[in-house]
Amino acid sequence: MNSQRPRSSTTAELTIATAEGVLFRLPLASPASRLYALLLDTAIVLGVVNGVGLLVYWIFAKAPGFGVMVTTLAEFAISFLYGAALEGLWNGQTIGKRLLYLRVVDQTGLPLRIEQAWVRNLMRVFDALPFAYLVGGLSALISPLMQRFGDRVAGTLVVRQTPLSAPQEEFWTRQKYNSFLDYPAIAVHLRRAATPELASLIQDALRRRNELAPYARREIYRELAAYVQAEISTFPDELVEMLSDEQYLINTAGVLFGDRRISTPRG
Amino acid sequence: MILDLQRFQAQARPRWNKLESLLAVLEGRPDHRMNLAEADQLQDLYAQAASDLNRVTHGALAPDLRQYLERLVARAYAELYFAPPTRSDIWQPRRWLRIFTAFPETFRRQSRYFALAVLITVLGSTLGGLAVRYDPTSVDVLLPADYLRNPGERVHKEEQGDNRHPYSTQMEAAFSAELIRHNINVALLAAALGVTFGIGTALLLFENGVLLGAVAVRYAQQGFGLFVTAWLLPHGAFEIPSILIAGQAGFYLARLLLRRREDRDVRHSMREWLVLVAGLALMLVWAGLIEAFFSQHHAPVVPYGLKLAVGAAELVLLTLYLLVIGRKEPVAIAHVATPAETN
Repeated sequence: MNSQRPRSSTTAELTIATAEGVLFRLPLASPASRLYALLLDTAIVLGVVNGVGLLVYWIFAKAPGFGVMVTTLAEFAISFLYGAALEGLWNGQTIGKRLLYLRVVDQTGLPLRIEQAWVRNLMRVFDALPFAYLVGGLSALISPLMQRFGDRVAGTLVVRQTPLSAPQEEFWTRQKYNSFLDYPAIAVHLRRAATPELASLIQDALRRRNELAPYARREIYRELAAYVQAEISTFPDELVEMLSDEQYLINTAGVLFGDRRISTPRG
Repeated sequence: MILDLQRFQAQARPRWNKLESLLAVLEGRPDHRMNLAEADQLQDLYAQAASDLNRVTHGALAPDLRQYLERLVARAYAELYFAPPTRSDIWQPRRWLRIFTAFPETFRRQSRYFALAVLITVLGSTLGGLAVRYDPTSVDVLLPADYLRNPGERVHKEEQGDNRHPYSTQMEAAFSAELIRHNINVALLAAALGVTFGIGTALLLFENGVLLGAVAVRYAQQGFGLFVTAWLLPHGAFEIPSILIAGQAGFYLARLLLRRREDRDVRHSMREWLVLVAGLALMLVWAGLIEAFFSQHHAPVVPYGLKLAVGAAELVLLTLYLLVIGRKEPVAIAHVATPAETN
């Protein structure tokens, strides 16, 4: 069962199309955030190497030459092992990447395999040329998937993975009383006449309440409410005058999306 | 279709929560193994989350909800379609020891790239040697260090043991580590330069060859042929082949990148490249140790005959190892065409 197939890309994200026809996007990490993660990792490696060095010199106090030998080899091994082993065994993350919410994945959206982690880390000898990761940095900047050469060879890329929780329910959804439902004939007309686009627009305007600047919010709500009142369903003026534009739209959304059946009031 | 996001979320939230907690359990397991019931449940919840994502993508503008669902679907997708190696797989010594047979096997499978590396090095050393032989002015350009240009003094010092330090074993140990690190770095670069479609690899091998040819001819011209052979052969028997194998890995990578994307078997190729690199790194560890601890001792301490014999023995053993180990006996199977094949 193989699910990874075509993919398309933009500069900021990778779109995966699975065999089941599911499309999802992975946001790519910016070269700057990768550089910060690299600096963090370098600091960690230097710390570990120095720690090992001190320990080795203490153990080999009487044989400093062997001490140098062990330290040189350990330093060399750690500089490659750190990235390759951590990424391979720790779900594509080094400590620096984890702190900056970055992750290395296969370019099909699946986790990377151990050999990919090794290849992309061994290829650093080329990407780090001629100094300060110039080759790798430039190749990441011009690549559509922001891959350095090591990533291209290993078929991997670095994605951004900030923690996310499910969006919370919003204030305007479950109001107990909707004055528009006191006018069932107009409400039914509203439900029939409103296009899906208009309904989505109203819903989205309400959902984004806190993202809009107060002035913009007031203007957008005023225009939307005026449009609905003038073009779609005219509720009585004595009711509308008592409502703010926002409340008007909340009531409209309640009519459009509400699951209560609209029926003529008794009596 | 009008999608009431809030009602939709309220209805779907329980199954998203369920999927999240199932994923948390599965991702937390070291081996990521799941039983049949879990696999069933994951498949169901994945399909539902994917369809929810589809509705959000096409039904309404809800970037935060869409992002959340995309993340959830991506995690479930990875869990369903990716089988990570188990810890027991990774820590099995036998698996790691397989490198000793996999290396010569891979070397033989990709031998044409090795032949190319040899060809370029031989070309370089021939040119280097001829230049030094027939154009004395080229010596200054090709051999920048004085001890390479005028080996007499160096040979004299080496043979007298003037360069040797009272704590020589200590120095040799430190020297060997430096050699190992430097040589592996150069070899790794040659293998990685395959991404320049092999041009970088070829230049590196060529330059190496020129230097080798020039040094050999210069020393031979001045009558130190035996000295230089005895000096270089014990570690060169491993060092030079390993640089050639690095070139082989580089050309192999170049060939892979020149293939059309759909013709590449990236997973298999990466393994081949890694095995070559791992094998040559091991060879260079040996070469570094020999170079520091053995090659630097000269006659009369270590007779040249012995050094040459050791070097030659290494070369023979290495050749046998690369050509024989892992080779399976050819099994004679009479090939009978089945009806399906003949049709």
